[in-house]
Amino acid sequence: MINVAHLTIPEAIAGTVAVALLLVQLSLLRSVVLAELITLYALQSLLVALISVAVGVIDHSWELIALGVLTFVAKTIALPLYMRRLSRSVSTRVEIPKRINVTLSLILAAGVMGVAILTAGALPLKTGEFFPQADLATTLSIVFVGFLVAILRPNALAQVIAFLTLENGLYFGTVTLAPGLPFVVGVLLLLDVLIAVVVFAVLVRILVAEEATASVHVLQQLNG
Amino acid sequence: MSGLSWVIIAIPACAAIASWLLPARVMRPVTALAGLITAGCIIAIVIQTARHQGPIDACSALFLLPIAIVYGAVGLYTYWYVVAESHDTAAGERYRREFLTLTNAFACAEVIVPLVTNMAGMWVAIEATTIVAALLVRLQGTPAALEAAWKYILIASCGLALGLVAVVVLYAAAIPALGAHHQPEWQAYMHAAKRLDPDVVRLAFIFALIGFGTKMGLAPMHTWLPDAHGAGPTPTSAMLSGIVLSDAAYVIVRFAAISNAAVGPGLTQGLFTIVGLLSLFLAAFFLLQQSDIKRMLAYSSIEHMGIVALGFAFGIPVAVGGAFLHVVNHSASKSLAFLAAGRLAERYGTREIARIRGAIGTLPISGTLFVVAALSLAGMPPFGIFRSELMILAGGFTSAPWVTAAVLALLLVAFAGITRWVTATTNGTAPAEIRHGESGVFPIAGMAIGFVVVLGLGLVVPSALSSLIADASVILRGGR
Repeated sequence: MINVAHLTIPEAIAGTVAVALLLVQLSLLRSVVLAELITLYALQSLLVALISVAVGVIDHSWELIALGVLTFVAKTIALPLYMRRLSRSVSTRVEIPKRINVTLSLILAAGVMGVAILTAGALPLKTGEFFPQADLATTLSIVFVGFLVAILRPNALAQVIAFLTLENGLYFGTVTLAPGLPFVVGVLLLLDVLIAVVVFAVLVRILVAEEATASVHVLQQLNG
Repeated sequence: MSGLSWVIIAIPACAAIASWLLPARVMRPVTALAGLITAGCIIAIVIQTARHQGPIDACSALFLLPIAIVYGAVGLYTYWYVVAESHDTAAGERYRREFLTLTNAFACAEVIVPLVTNMAGMWVAIEATTIVAALLVRLQGTPAALEAAWKYILIASCGLALGLVAVVVLYAAAIPALGAHHQPEWQAYMHAAKRLDPDVVRLAFIFALIGFGTKMGLAPMHTWLPDAHGAGPTPTSAMLSGIVLSDAAYVIVRFAAISNAAVGPGLTQGLFTIVGLLSLFLAAFFLLQQSDIKRMLAYSSIEHMGIVALGFAFGIPVAVGGAFLHVVNHSASKSLAFLAAGRLAERYGTREIARIRGAIGTLPISGTLFVVAALSLAGMPPFGIFRSELMILAGGFTSAPWVTAAVLALLLVAFAGITRWVTATTNGTAPAEIRHGESGVFPIAGMAIGFVVVLGLGLVVPSALSSLIADASVILRGGR
């Protein structure tokens, strides 16, 4: 267990940021307004960009600082702006399935976060410079809750945001658990995600143009 | 990477760029040529590797073979396909240009996976195949294609996220042994395997199996596969089934090898057994109730990936060797089946099995090749899949008789499913309005590649391939 009394100030700040990341991720399940989801994504991206810069400063790694800046530009500014433009032509509200309302989805999220924390806690991975012992737990929690958002929100744009936040979790994990991962690989990962988002966006545009909705309920022709 | 490896990547990459810039009438033959030259280069590197002179190892060489077979065949087939599927209008020309560009780009991303030694690089290449394939599936322009493309990119990308967690976790586990700033290369991890923390390696393998298993079409992560393979353009279905699944299997094999070297084979064999049996079970019963010819083939892919996983699970050399051979056999048989099914679907104007009658009378060569491919997929002699399945079952009866008995029972169900639908397409006579006779030499030449491999590997396994399979089996067991 982490002994709070022995935390250094950077560790305490790091822990606070990790908790903030998780709270943002959980808020995705609470929100039913598309614009709010986009803002939450931008906020989360800002946090991971800051973490990248912070780890870069601690490690004296200009590569992580550069990645942090790239992340800020791409994910905190460009992508949210693009998503807002994309969302103009669709309903501003995200439907919530009747059987699994907000409360139940938050309980489920707490459950998967518990699994993530227990899994990470059972492992002797203490190599993270950022916040040893909590790096993997935070990464897995963000990824698992991202899965939940993608499953429980039957809206194409909400699912894209779920994928993007899930990717933020991966980026957090890469920066904190594997800060030495070569810069080229980091840039490739970022590029890959950006291209994936463009493809997602193309499909959303077609969906909206053809079906006049961003609800994925219309995509239920293929079964069996 | 060696010069030849770069050439293998550069050919489809250049073909993709040229397809975007030049008219389709120029790029149709160029794409066919690109497929054949790439296939030739791959065979050259495979032979070098079998003689222990190649720049890559046996495992990489073995998983390059499906690309040689399928890209070679698809390049030729596409020459006919893009014209058959489009009109001589501006929109038709745009479709051809996009299709040829994306098909070559798809091949480029696929070929990078077995050639790259950096595990994060492998992930990037696999994710790139998802992105390009989603666009290709969408090119069909139907509501079903949009649905399939959406499900594919969402499920596969989310699944692959766990694949990246596996890469990151393995990297973190290797920091004490290899330093904080090491390259995530699988050779380095194999060398350092004994010094990696066993629990972390176990976790990495579990995530890799779930993440890359999603791309491999293993149950229960397979849900995107029947939709994407069924609704996508025929050459894309052939490449998805023949190459992408084997690419994903390749990455899993690399993780399994590291895990086996670090903690022994218990974990990988146990998990391979679970996902293999589940895949086989689901596919066998879904095969019985399919009405769409391409979805039937898609479920057959899930079945065969389950068989590959079970071959790895049985662990003994004959079964593991059978699994590696099965990857090659499946790629050849499945690409042949998809390409022939595409010809039938185009001629009859439907993918509904119930409406395809008298296939051999209507398309004597394509119809016959479809039957050959289907019989091969059903595990009939003298085709390659019969040989590899026999090797897997022989190994299974030695190491896990009860599991193998269940596998045999499920294979019989799958056999019944496939043969039932195939006989339905060949029985009866075609409606009067259906034109008889083949058209185009290129698609037949493309299918001939698959046929030669399907039949050839049933009759004899070349010594070079046997040598590669033996070496790859050692690698999977954690050796070098």
